[in-house]
Amino acid sequence: MRLLQKFKNKGKSSQYKGSSNYAYLATRVRAMKSNLVPTETYPRLMNMGISEITRLIQETEYKRDIDELARTYSGVDLIEHGLNQNLAETFTKLIEISEGEPNYLITEYLRNYDVWNIKTLLRGKYYNASTDEIKEAFVSAGQLSYTFLSELAGKQSYSEVISALESTEYYPILKEYDETNLSDIENRLDKMYYDGLFNVIGGSKSKDRKLFATFIKTEIDIKNVKTLFRLKKAEVDPDEILDLIIDGGLELNVKNIKKLLSLSYDDFVQALSKYSYWDTISEIVSSDTDSLINVETQLTKHSLKSASSFSHVYPLSIVPIMDYIISKRNEVNNLRIITRGKAANLSDDVIRNQLVI
Amino acid sequence: MAVEGVVAAMDPAGLKAIGAGIAVGLTGIASGIAEKDIGSAAIGAMAENEGLFGKGLILTVIPETIVIFGLVVALLIK
Repeated sequence: MRLLQKFKNKGKSSQYKGSSNYAYLATRVRAMKSNLVPTETYPRLMNMGISEITRLIQETEYKRDIDELARTYSGVDLIEHGLNQNLAETFTKLIEISEGEPNYLITEYLRNYDVWNIKTLLRGKYYNASTDEIKEAFVSAGQLSYTFLSELAGKQSYSEVISALESTEYYPILKEYDETNLSDIENRLDKMYYDGLFNVIGGSKSKDRKLFATFIKTEIDIKNVKTLFRLKKAEVDPDEILDLIIDGGLELNVKNIKKLLSLSYDDFVQALSKYSYWDTISEIVSSDTDSLINVETQLTKHSLKSASSFSHVYPLSIVPIMDYIISKRNEVNNLRIITRGKAANLSDDVIRNQLVI
Repeated sequence: MAVEGVVAAMDPAGLKAIGAGIAVGLTGIASGIAEKDIGSAAIGAMAENEGLFGKGLILTVIPETIVIFGLVVALLIK
């Protein structure tokens, strides 16, 4: 099939160079997925102290990162930085081992880390954080390398940082930054990321790419629903919420969301029952729910589940790779929640509620 | 008349040889295409986990049967 497609597309100019080798990439990524921390380990981790967790993590693929950083950090910070470094390395590896179409898609998808790092830089400069503090918060999983980012972190002012980013596509937005509109710039960077992603997913008509598009759109929907829940609960002005909404969801487009915005919190919850996401959250949402943690955990779980079920439909496509990216990110989040929770002496129940397993 | 002349000029042994050639040639290409993806997938898995070498090797050579059948057919034609 792929061979046929290749011949069909031969005449068209493509956005990416080189041939894509999905068989190699998808199998390698599947092998990488088998190295993730298995689900049954989490209850064990819950019964351990910080040093025991560090030791257990050291037995997995985080060994090298933990060993490397053990000289500089200890305790929770060691785990946190080890996890971040490993995440960055794993994702950079995905970009390195792929070529052609998947490389293009993965790079676009991982661009959110570039956006994240630029935001970190701007925020750090805004609050006059030290170079080391800014450097600690980087996750260099995107195209901007850690060395380049560290160089930027060492610059004196935000204007120098922005002029150093002149060659990137973020510059048109960044140049409008004047130290008063940080949140606006951050929003626009996020929107730019999603616009870029839409450009990428819109182009192809093959079935696996369509599935990829569905997958991204579901993610956007879930993000929007989370934003709506948080801000509706806090009774923020509808116009302000609309600024934070990302366009292009699967079930909830901007028109639907505008309708939801005008409702009160109770009516909003009622109105949500029309959408398929309701099944995952119906049991825990009611008008008097205090904490949204459960709701958000369930929604994240939903996107994780849909990703892994999608990945079996087209085994040799971008979908299993996306599934891996999400699972890996989730694993790092879970481990961080456990260690941070333990360090802050939270009860097991509180930590368990936050985990997405 | 002209067609009959051409047919008569063809040597059956030559046709057999062409048939045998096609049998081996096409099946060779077919196994090549089949092994391409399996081989690269096997390398991918091995890069992460060296223990998969044996399995990868066996799975990679399974489509080799196609060309073996081709060879058998070629020998039978002969």
